[in-house]
Amino acid sequence: MQMQRSIRLPSRVRRGPYQLVGAVAICLVAAYILVGAQQFSNFLTVGAIYALIALGYTMVYGIIELINFAHGDVFGMGAFVALWLLTVAGFHGAIDNPLVLAVVLVALFLLTMGIMGLVGMVIERVAYRPLRNAPRLAPLITAIGVSFILENIMQAFFGPSPVTSPQIFDLNARFNVAGASIGYLNVFIVLVAVALMIALQVFVGRTRLGRAMRSTAQDREAAQLMGVNIDQTIAITFFIGSALAGAGGIVWALYFGYALFNQGFYAGLFAFTAAVLGGIGNTTGAALGGFFIGFLYVAAAQYGYFRWFEVLVFGVLVLVLVFRPSGLLGQQLGERA
Amino acid sequence: MQSRTITALAAAVVLTAGACSSSATTAPAGGSSAPAASTGAGSSTAVGGKSVTIGVDLPLSGGEFANGDPTKKGIELAVNQANQKGGVAGYKIVLSIKDDAVNGVHNPQQGATNIQGFVADPTVIGVVGPFNSNVGAAEIPVSNRAGLLQCSPANTNPGLTKPQYGALSIRSAYPNRINYIRVATTDDIQGLAGAEFAYNDLGKRRAYVVDDTETYGKGLADVFVTQFKALGGTVIKQDGAPSSTTDYTPLLTAVQGQNPDVVYFGGVTATGGGLLRKQMAQVGMGNIAFGGGDGIVDGPGNVQGSFIKVAGSAAANSFGTVAATHDIPNASAFSDAYKAAYGAAPGAYSASAYACTQVILQSLQAVAGSASGSGLREAVRAYATDSSHSFTTQLGTISFDQNGDTTQHIISFYKTDMSAAGGVGDWVFVRQQDFGGAGSSGASAAPGASSAASPAASQ
Repeated sequence: MQMQRSIRLPSRVRRGPYQLVGAVAICLVAAYILVGAQQFSNFLTVGAIYALIALGYTMVYGIIELINFAHGDVFGMGAFVALWLLTVAGFHGAIDNPLVLAVVLVALFLLTMGIMGLVGMVIERVAYRPLRNAPRLAPLITAIGVSFILENIMQAFFGPSPVTSPQIFDLNARFNVAGASIGYLNVFIVLVAVALMIALQVFVGRTRLGRAMRSTAQDREAAQLMGVNIDQTIAITFFIGSALAGAGGIVWALYFGYALFNQGFYAGLFAFTAAVLGGIGNTTGAALGGFFIGFLYVAAAQYGYFRWFEVLVFGVLVLVLVFRPSGLLGQQLGERA
Repeated sequence: MQSRTITALAAAVVLTAGACSSSATTAPAGGSSAPAASTGAGSSTAVGGKSVTIGVDLPLSGGEFANGDPTKKGIELAVNQANQKGGVAGYKIVLSIKDDAVNGVHNPQQGATNIQGFVADPTVIGVVGPFNSNVGAAEIPVSNRAGLLQCSPANTNPGLTKPQYGALSIRSAYPNRINYIRVATTDDIQGLAGAEFAYNDLGKRRAYVVDDTETYGKGLADVFVTQFKALGGTVIKQDGAPSSTTDYTPLLTAVQGQNPDVVYFGGVTATGGGLLRKQMAQVGMGNIAFGGGDGIVDGPGNVQGSFIKVAGSAAANSFGTVAATHDIPNASAFSDAYKAAYGAAPGAYSASAYACTQVILQSLQAVAGSASGSGLREAVRAYATDSSHSFTTQLGTISFDQNGDTTQHIISFYKTDMSAAGGVGDWVFVRQQDFGGAGSSGASAAPGASSAASPAASQ
């Protein structure tokens, strides 16, 4: 119990959970006032997608200190797997029956997340595990190589043009609230993202495997001495991180109705920024960072500075790295100095 | 239409190609001794006799055959007709045909190598080609240094000719000795034409403009904005959305309250054109007109990755411009002659290639009395690129401006028809218009010239 306690409190920022919740609530209200109800729903949707991708980045970094640059392409591949599954299953347009829709969505999420989790495990086994004790530059460069390999695989199978996906969720199903017209799909995306984040927190914080992950992150050798199977733990971390990226891909395919072989590159960079912003290694921070990037996106669009969005995002990245390298919330998954 | 897309996409590539062309093209200098892909119809015969050679550089193998072959046949048709009449000024015309495709894809390096082969052959008085803009960017430095006339039937990238788009670095050896001319107008005229169409034909007054921040797209959108304002319209906002953008809903939400009646996109389908249109419908802006350049006029709805495929049913009520002539003068006479010779209908660029050949042959006719032998090449180049000369061609009477661009600026307009192509939707031709003079010096041309363009001035 003692160990668990010390880990759940970040070492640098000793802030209680209620303070964090309060800060987030204040930020949300400020965001709402700044961009209005309609853009607020846009912001939550985009933010949820970036947050899902950022979680995988941060988990992998937290446990083996690897910036997994292939992670963005795992997300991109998730979108392709989702659209491929939907196409093979013979869907074309929106499914009207909510019960059928729910069943299809559950199956879609389970299958796609499972497949992408396995892809993540394979990548780890083939490309990263042999380099685990190599200098840190080696796996980083390998990760870039894996990123290109994944993109080329997608291009080989699906071609260089955007591929359209069946959109089983009716985009025109909307409701009006506070003068804004909000799609049920937007609500669904945010709910799915938040549910997955909560599930992840519970898994890491309350389960035996989660404790193995945290101990591996904290001190790999000591964890091994205490009987933790390091290889298995790292493989599971990749499975979960990649499955979450896969979930991001599904949501993407449902919402945008298309996938492009190299779409994961930029989405991955934005999500990486989100992870660094929140404190790389810190899952709560990554989620909040994802929403922050989503807010930047919408605010830039609202105020006519969209041309500068990439400058804004990477400017934030530089500022964080210079002034607060441990991110806004500090590192949390383990407690690395 | 698909070849148009390739050219449009090449616009994005050509910047890179242009940037490295000066170093890239000097590298394969040794290649001139072994022109690998020459499929030549034997050329260097009878050097001292009355015969001259026209070089042909086109992509002729692999997936590019469909583009290159009908274009090549247009050239052959013109040469055969000339030879049947006893040649030009006593010269028999011989063709030397080279393929610039490698592994089935047009290749700038191969193109440059081919041009070096033509330069080394003293009987070559001019070259027809290339087909693709990025190949042109690699070839022009070579032919410019040698002073060899090139006429492209299909290139539309403004960077190949216009100084403000960087053409001076492509013809850096002799920036003022023009040797490259083309019969297709440039992409930058499209923005101007798009504004005319939106304002005059569609009666739109409030435009929202998005560009993809790339050379082709931003250039197109900037010209549209200038021209639309000059006509009296209001441009609510111009946003730049890099090609990494996939969610346009925040951008659309931001302008929705200001009631735009047309949205213009500078870019290609792959950099967001299709998605933007689709998401307009998603946020309830689906019945607002949508327009763009040839980057979105990319085939019917059953082509994977095409604008109509990506946008789906939202593609309705869209228009696009293409920098090419849809209806050529005397089309049936040309078509009949072509069919009689090759047993098939002419391709999209057959008439353009025929016209390029006509320009070279008419130049030869004009200078044959005063020049001969090794002086012929330079005399032909000087005559063809002199902006005071005009040529009677299959595309009409044309001449070339101080940069080598055709003075004929015909833009064809297309609209989406969702019932076309068997119900999957396709682009249908609306009308074409010559924007002659309006943009001859490029995107920055005074918009005042537009007053000549009325909606009635079709074809």
